Amino acid sequence: MSLDFKQVVSDFKNGLWAENPIIRLVIGMCPTLAVTNTTENGLAMGLATAFVLISSEIVISLIKKLIPTNVRIPSFILIIATFVTFVDYFLKAFFPGIAASLSIFVPLIVVNCLILGRQEAFASQHSTPRAIADGVGMGLGFTWVLVLLGAIREFFGMGSIFGFTLLGEWYRPMVIMILPAGAFITLGILVGIMNQISREGK
Amino acid sequence: MEKNSKKAMIITLATIGIISALLLTFVYEWTTPYIQANQAKKQKQAINEVLPKVEKIKEVEKNGSVFYEGYDASGNQVGVAFISSGGGYNGVIKIMIGVDLKSNEIYKISILNHQETPGLGARITGKKFKSNFKNKPFGDYTVVKTPPSKETQVQAIAGATISSRSVTKIIEDALGKINSAYGGGN
Repeated sequence: MSLDFKQVVSDFKNGLWAENPIIRLVIGMCPTLAVTNTTENGLAMGLATAFVLISSEIVISLIKKLIPTNVRIPSFILIIATFVTFVDYFLKAFFPGIAASLSIFVPLIVVNCLILGRQEAFASQHSTPRAIADGVGMGLGFTWVLVLLGAIREFFGMGSIFGFTLLGEWYRPMVIMILPAGAFITLGILVGIMNQISREGK
Repeated sequence: MEKNSKKAMIITLATIGIISALLLTFVYEWTTPYIQANQAKKQKQAINEVLPKVEKIKEVEKNGSVFYEGYDASGNQVGVAFISSGGGYNGVIKIMIGVDLKSNEIYKISILNHQETPGLGARITGKKFKSNFKNKPFGDYTVVKTPPSKETQVQAIAGATISSRSVTKIIEDALGKINSAYGGGN
């Protein structure tokens, strides 16, 4: 099977901007809104999701011909759930602090529609190298937006980034930014800015 | 065999399920010791935080609750730590309390787990609020909104009166249980 290198690169870039899961496709909103109250949580959630996405895209693109189309969705979910359970145990064993702050949102990665969506739309129809490129691109695309959201919310809500206090005692934190409402406001403004940027680029 | 036959579907799903279960068994075996060690470490840290100079910890069960008796290097009992939990403003609050049974005083408290509002109720974990209970005699506490004038008064966190009251109630419950298990120390 010949592999078009340019194609792989464009699959990778796709997830970073043009079809970014959060700001373009607007999927995977549950973790996006729920766990981005600090930069660290955003980064951990993004990387955990990226790991599950890449691993399941590899497995599914490898065995796509063996799966009967009628049971493809339950098969995908089983494979995704296996990787999510792995991540859950792994975080609890080696990063107990992160596991405690993400709590219920780690097992909930199973139902993140970004992951199932990419299996259905991409991994089950393309070759493994292209699926890896798509997984890495989408995973990083998801992660950088979560980190940015977390950084903005932590900065205004607590006056710090990655737990380092940047604003002194004089700063009165905007508590709303680390509450759910702050997530909606920040995400809305962010999507608006991104739309403006890509419109001007045309 | 036809690809979408019933047999093919059953075999596919069963195979994926079995492989996934096998893999997760190994992952479970591998991570469980680390997870348990983490939990034990966290608990020991919490006990050390509420009881001063504890070297050895003994788990004792009385009246159906577990108490942690802390002993110092020379084997004298320093005090007792107890985990108590109850409803907060938003989910369960779990608190570790260390008490001195000789003088009937609270040493210190430590919030193990909570889901209070960040920035408001979450400040129950802050030093300022916890110092409300530091070296306090056992008793009925009242939550007040102004700086306390009596020893049994607890100053609420501004904007988080419910969280402050919940913590106070959980501590009173715990003191009741310690009193009935250890006879009040009298």
